[in-house]
Amino acid sequence: MVLDLNNIQITLNAVPLFSPISLKIQAGEVATIMGPSGCGKSTLLSAICGNLPKIFQLRGDVLLNQRSMLDMPMEQRRIGILFQDDLLFPHMNIAENLAFALPEKLSRASKKMKIKDALDLADLSGFGKRDPATLSGGQRARVSLLRSLLAEPEAILLDEPFSKLDQQLKGQIRHFVFDSIRTMNIPALLVTHDPKDCPEGQTINLGNNGDSDAG
Amino acid sequence: MKRHQRSRLGFFPALTLISFLSAIVIGLVSTWIQAFGYMPVIGYHHFSLTPWISFFDHPSTPKAIMTTLISGWGAALFSLLTTFLLFALSYNNRYWNILQKSLAPLLSVPHAAFAIGFLFLAAPSGWILRLISPELTGFQTPPDWNIIKDGYGISLMIALVIKEVPFLILISLSALSRIDVRRSIAIGRSLGYETTQVWIKIIIPQLYPKIRLSIFAVLAYSLSVVDIAQILGPTIPPTLAVQVFRWFNDPDVAFRLIGAAGATFILLLVVSSIGALFLFEKGVRCLLKFWLTTGKRESQFKTIKPLANLTIITLVGVTALAIITLIIWSFTWRWQFPDILPKTWSMKFWLKGFPKLREPIWNTITTGMAAALVGIILVIGCLEYEVILDRQGRKTNTDKAFWMMYLPLLIPQIAFLFGVQVLLVVLRLDGIWLSLVWSHLLFVLPYTFLTLGPIYRSYDQRMTDVAITLSGSPWKAFLKVKLPILMRPVLFSMAVGFSVSVAQYLPTLFIGAGRFETITTEAVNLASGSDRRIVAVYALSQLLTPLIVFFTALWLPNLYFYQRKDMQI
Repeated sequence: MVLDLNNIQITLNAVPLFSPISLKIQAGEVATIMGPSGCGKSTLLSAICGNLPKIFQLRGDVLLNQRSMLDMPMEQRRIGILFQDDLLFPHMNIAENLAFALPEKLSRASKKMKIKDALDLADLSGFGKRDPATLSGGQRARVSLLRSLLAEPEAILLDEPFSKLDQQLKGQIRHFVFDSIRTMNIPALLVTHDPKDCPEGQTINLGNNGDSDAG
Repeated sequence: MKRHQRSRLGFFPALTLISFLSAIVIGLVSTWIQAFGYMPVIGYHHFSLTPWISFFDHPSTPKAIMTTLISGWGAALFSLLTTFLLFALSYNNRYWNILQKSLAPLLSVPHAAFAIGFLFLAAPSGWILRLISPELTGFQTPPDWNIIKDGYGISLMIALVIKEVPFLILISLSALSRIDVRRSIAIGRSLGYETTQVWIKIIIPQLYPKIRLSIFAVLAYSLSVVDIAQILGPTIPPTLAVQVFRWFNDPDVAFRLIGAAGATFILLLVVSSIGALFLFEKGVRCLLKFWLTTGKRESQFKTIKPLANLTIITLVGVTALAIITLIIWSFTWRWQFPDILPKTWSMKFWLKGFPKLREPIWNTITTGMAAALVGIILVIGCLEYEVILDRQGRKTNTDKAFWMMYLPLLIPQIAFLFGVQVLLVVLRLDGIWLSLVWSHLLFVLPYTFLTLGPIYRSYDQRMTDVAITLSGSPWKAFLKVKLPILMRPVLFSMAVGFSVSVAQYLPTLFIGAGRFETITTEAVNLASGSDRRIVAVYALSQLLTPLIVFFTALWLPNLYFYQRKDMQI
């Protein structure tokens, strides 16, 4: 699986947010886009996953496994996304949050198995019935990642997913995220303003190129 | 200094609560006592079950209960479903933008004026049939159809839905600001769910508890509304609330006791309906819980998207057409069926109506202004007390206060206002202007509090701190810094309070003891059976009075702050 950004550029009122980006991310690799807030990193991610606000224009192409994504609606792209807020659904318990992501075709028993395995993997055994509100920030972040991965995405985008965690947790969660992505063997793209977040993959530094409010 | 200030402001929440809780409690109890046959003022000195027996034995009671349930529950459920349907299918599309821009105008149309316009629009002799007759229908005279004031209360229900959906959408939009809608949709879609499914499975289940109280208020209102039901509801027998209202006004005072029993029955009906809706919600939640996580990512539901868009056009269009109908009628001299427009136009009914309207309009404005002013003072007092509690690290129980504030909107007016009136008669306080203002205040207060509260609480209190250190006076800091900064929301809340007061029908009649005619009581009383041209003039005056106040409230801050860029919208 390969995520291929081909000469991507986003403009707002004909002003480009950054110079064109080309990046080929292999399966299991975590590439990074660095830059201060306001440089258009998150806008780039929403363009890739198919959620670009209409006021922006997009040039270039996004290919996932050689298929162009641009004409596909977001829900068919199979690109997972992780925000800095975990966005766990507060009206569902942990197991239900995870079940929401599982494919419909799975049997009830195999869904249960998958959820249990996922929770075990994240050191959250027995948390299935818990209310998300009772979990710590680190636990919630892990559930959030598990949820994204259980949908079996073919690529995943990470939008400053560690920025709200405290220093101690950061390293722990970072490891968990990067390890899980490697195990899933899918391409991942991380945007961050914190150099410490960077894994070993390719890194692009966006700098502050355009004057835009987009964060 | 601090302690002194605290004790002074603590007076505000107490006064606010007493001013409306007392009325409701006393009014309810007084009505209950009368429902059990005790009303010494008219010579009934012994408790009995006779009023209840007479109420249930009355020939119109069973049908009145039925039409009340159909129009009340129907309106509440359809409003709720429509609101959710529009969010799930039309949110942020082209039609949605139309709706969002129309919300304020839609909400500013008083219920009575809308009902009258709707009557003139949809009746068999109404504008819609005039527009398509005789070409499409062949009618040369209005058909003998029973489409308005129908025996089941369907037309009443439709009019209520058209008025309630914009309200529920407004309430939902403000509740949704506390949910990260944009990114929740992004997460849902990245997991493979289409947007409609994300709304149904993720956002609406979170939204519902946040707007539950408003939904209850809509249900309570629909089951007990009097003014609109008089205009658009069934006639023989009318809905329960209208029937009870007639009993209260019957020249034979013995009917007051039956009325009291009926009013108490409406209260029971509303309370049990709210209970039933609550249980229904729990049931639906329980039954559909498994369905949230089946993993089904799309459904055919989205194919009715055109229906949702059409609903938006209908909501906005019908209200607009209703007002246009009123405007045309108010300038009509001769307009025969099936002509599309009047043959001859005239200003006569405006010129004739205006002198007659002078007193009602004067009453409306003075009462509304007084209620809005007292309301804003009480609400600001309460909110300032909150600030002080907050500084002392003591938390105010906002949730509880919220319930209290909603109480006047959840309890049917007819269930307690008559009781209040009887008590005022005993105290010889009925029919005086101050009592009237106080009764309007009951309904003005919740809306003032609900519109001002969130913005007032988000004020940066450090501005006041700076001002106090500079001026040395908390009063000066409040009057010269905080109040001017909050001028826009304060004036807006006052305008909302004013428009709520303008719309009051039952309190004006009951507490004013018929001595104060307002533009609303006049318009509603004339609506059925009077000359359409006169009625249109009255309805439009009811519509314009709050509108002028709203524009003033929006325009004054612009004038005051015309050189202050940060204070412009």
